[in-house]
Amino acid sequence: MKISRRDALQLGAVAGAGALLAGCSRLPGSTRVLPASVELPPGPTQPAVRVLNRLGFGPAPGQVAEYTATGYAAHLERQLAADLDEPWDLTLRLRRLEVYAFEPGDLVNFPEEEVLRQLQQAAILQAVYSPNQLRERMVEFWSNHFNIHGRKGHAAFRKGRDDTSVIREHALGTFKAMIRASAQSPAMLFYLDNQFNRRGVPNENYARELMELHTLGVHGGYTQEDVREVARCFTGWGVETRAYRYGRGRFRFDPDLHDHRPKRVLGHTIDGGGIKDGFQVLDLLATHPSTARFLATKLSRYFLGEATTDAVERGSKAFLSSGGDIRSTLRALLTEQAVLEGPPIVRRPVDFAVAALRALHADTDGGKGIQDHLEAMGQPLFQWPMPDGYPDKSEAWTGSLLARWNFALALTRGDTPGTRVDLDGLLGFNPGEKSAARIVSLVHGEHPETPTGSRLASIFGARPDPTEQAALALCAPEFQWR
Amino acid sequence: MKPHNDWWSCDGGGPTPASRRTLLKSAAAGLAALLGGSSALAQVALTGSEKERDGDILVVVFLRGGMDGLNAIVPFGDSAYYGLRPGLGIGGPDSRSRPVSERALDLDGYFGLHPALGPLLPYFKDDQLAIVHAVGSQDRTRSHFEAMNTMERGLDSQSGGTASGWLARHLMAMPPRTGSPMRAVALGSIMPDSLRGGTGAIAIQSLDEFRLEANGRSPEVVERALAELYRTGSDPMTAAGRDTLKVLDAMRKLSPGSYRSEGAPYPNSDLGAGLRQVAMLIKADLGLEVAALDKGGWDTHVAQGTTSGWLASLLEDVASSLHAFASDIGPTMKRVTVVVQTEFGRRAYENSALGTDHGRASCLFVLGGGTRGGRVYGDWPGLADEKLEEGDLRVTTDYRQILAEVLEKRLHNAATERVFPGLSAQPLGIVA
Repeated sequence: MKISRRDALQLGAVAGAGALLAGCSRLPGSTRVLPASVELPPGPTQPAVRVLNRLGFGPAPGQVAEYTATGYAAHLERQLAADLDEPWDLTLRLRRLEVYAFEPGDLVNFPEEEVLRQLQQAAILQAVYSPNQLRERMVEFWSNHFNIHGRKGHAAFRKGRDDTSVIREHALGTFKAMIRASAQSPAMLFYLDNQFNRRGVPNENYARELMELHTLGVHGGYTQEDVREVARCFTGWGVETRAYRYGRGRFRFDPDLHDHRPKRVLGHTIDGGGIKDGFQVLDLLATHPSTARFLATKLSRYFLGEATTDAVERGSKAFLSSGGDIRSTLRALLTEQAVLEGPPIVRRPVDFAVAALRALHADTDGGKGIQDHLEAMGQPLFQWPMPDGYPDKSEAWTGSLLARWNFALALTRGDTPGTRVDLDGLLGFNPGEKSAARIVSLVHGEHPETPTGSRLASIFGARPDPTEQAALALCAPEFQWR
Repeated sequence: MKPHNDWWSCDGGGPTPASRRTLLKSAAAGLAALLGGSSALAQVALTGSEKERDGDILVVVFLRGGMDGLNAIVPFGDSAYYGLRPGLGIGGPDSRSRPVSERALDLDGYFGLHPALGPLLPYFKDDQLAIVHAVGSQDRTRSHFEAMNTMERGLDSQSGGTASGWLARHLMAMPPRTGSPMRAVALGSIMPDSLRGGTGAIAIQSLDEFRLEANGRSPEVVERALAELYRTGSDPMTAAGRDTLKVLDAMRKLSPGSYRSEGAPYPNSDLGAGLRQVAMLIKADLGLEVAALDKGGWDTHVAQGTTSGWLASLLEDVASSLHAFASDIGPTMKRVTVVVQTEFGRRAYENSALGTDHGRASCLFVLGGGTRGGRVYGDWPGLADEKLEEGDLRVTTDYRQILAEVLEKRLHNAATERVFPGLSAQPLGIVA
């Protein structure tokens, strides 16, 4: 008897299941285990898909059913708690990355390209495989909010530390603690030139972006005089440049470089003295009503697709009354109705690629193979030069479609080094037209009998090759939105 | 053989109805040569040339980060300049204390070109290059993003309400000159604000790479399926998908990899590569109307250098890229206008790190066959302490006056008030 490729794979799958039971290769908690059922639950699935697209990077196989069983309120609380176990193989892979394991000073011996590659790898792996998807969304949000260009002034070597101790540490914590951490992050201080900000010779770059982009927003009510005064408050905030035993490369406040004369910021006298001047400014900004509005507006656009008066009110009120607690702000902002009713949001390239990898249950190393495509699509991570982060307007990304199509074609064909998609396993070995219906449900979360589902299934079904069907599913306009 | 440049010598001037037939014939021949005799390609070009060529192609180069206009176009005649910039000032053409190579190149006895802009001097002398000094917007935030966004939307300050870009509004106001799928290109991976909110604009990083990597499948078959997926729908992504498919079709016939420049070599930089591709599109006659390019890196807060160093190398790239472009397209510059702008200038005084912080006015360049060049335009506000605005060079010319004049006179847009709402036009006479 001749064994076809499909049969062989099916046998392999059975063997794999056996191994899993025996505790051999596919241990529970691994990112590679396909859930027992990847079928869509009966009934409309669009609300579930919308929620998983907005509070995370899109559904992986089986998640629509899982969410439907859980319900919105419990799902949101679980995601806000962000305490789901990380898959062991994700943890192992991250542990191997020097950008996390090494002190910035020790990383200097690595080529900058390798450091940037690992930073991106860490971001991609966690976005694809972490079950704490809302935290990963917030990490994406804050990484753009506190954007650092890895190619400016060796920032790449310091960004790993910024990623763990500023962005990830506080992604769902309090804004006050986060802004303090960011202000003492060597990566940020270097990126915005604050190491050149000294008594008598202030450099305004950090002070300006701190108010314009990190806290108050450009119309938040500060003046050019405030910028100059805040710059003076942060004189002497820099990075240790002395020998290794002093902690070279870490944050250092140098009182000799600090401007000790009195300052006035937003109508307040700043008289903390020394490093406390800066802390006083940060606390003032972190709890300012303009900051609450600015963040609520940005978060609304990011999660809901628009900043309605109502949403901004809800968000900023919760922000202020909770003392800048990010969980409370999100809880107030992300009502089920607001998430379901907002307009569609264009997936930026990273969002698109991660959603594709999740939908197709890809086995990826998050490495160069994926990163080269992200670059072609216009969003190489940690490489946006300006401090405002990657743009969020749809029109900014209309030029990236060809690169998205090329990614979809390469991914489904197995031409993306370091990434593998097992379409045969995913499609349940259904030959022919059935695979089209299966792909519509996997990638678009649509039952093939809905209007969208049947339109897509009939276009995909006209091609015999399942890899081509899957490529088209990722190329479709529907998959460019979340 | 230089077919594309010879089109324009056939009647000695711009296109006239009488010369149209000749023009079409030589254009087709030129394209056929460029495209290796592909008749399909010649057909694209012919369709493109059916209509009157009734306006320039506009190339906008945006210098992002805030170009230091005071060191690019040096006001050596203003004695306050050297007081404000004891460490960074560029010596005037007669400054004995510096070697000749480190002095500004005299333009009109008062202003001088930064020596790194030397490749542009012949264009100034030949009246093809005009410079406007003390130009800017009324945005006073000194924020890169606000200032860029203001300019790219064509506003005087952020208080104006329109969300679309000025180039997009121009394209919307003008009937397409041809049925080209590529009325406007942005050379880069991201669509700039100036082209947002319009149609027919596409962002391309590199024309060489603008193809579907079908990975063993037939690109035509994949494109047919994509066309089905993108057939209906008016959201920005679906509309962009249709435009992308049309451009793919045109590009397949072009083979950009084999393009040879006919002028000075392009520098090995993003701007050089971008302008090289714009030149190719212009010569291929694909119906291009507007091209937008960026050059970043002008945020010179620290150690910006004088006649060498950071700023000098940026300026040198701009000058040699523009020179390569102008010499490559040759006589076709008659119907091309290049505008080089930046969001704001730098503080008039240098900072302690031998850099300059965000300021107000900067300068702007207009290059092209229709430019009334050889002059530094604008109303010089002066650098004496009492003339400065919070320590910055005052803005005396609204940048929109120049853009509006270029659109009206060179691109034949009769409704520039729709592109720049609220602007009362006071043309400088900078283009013919």
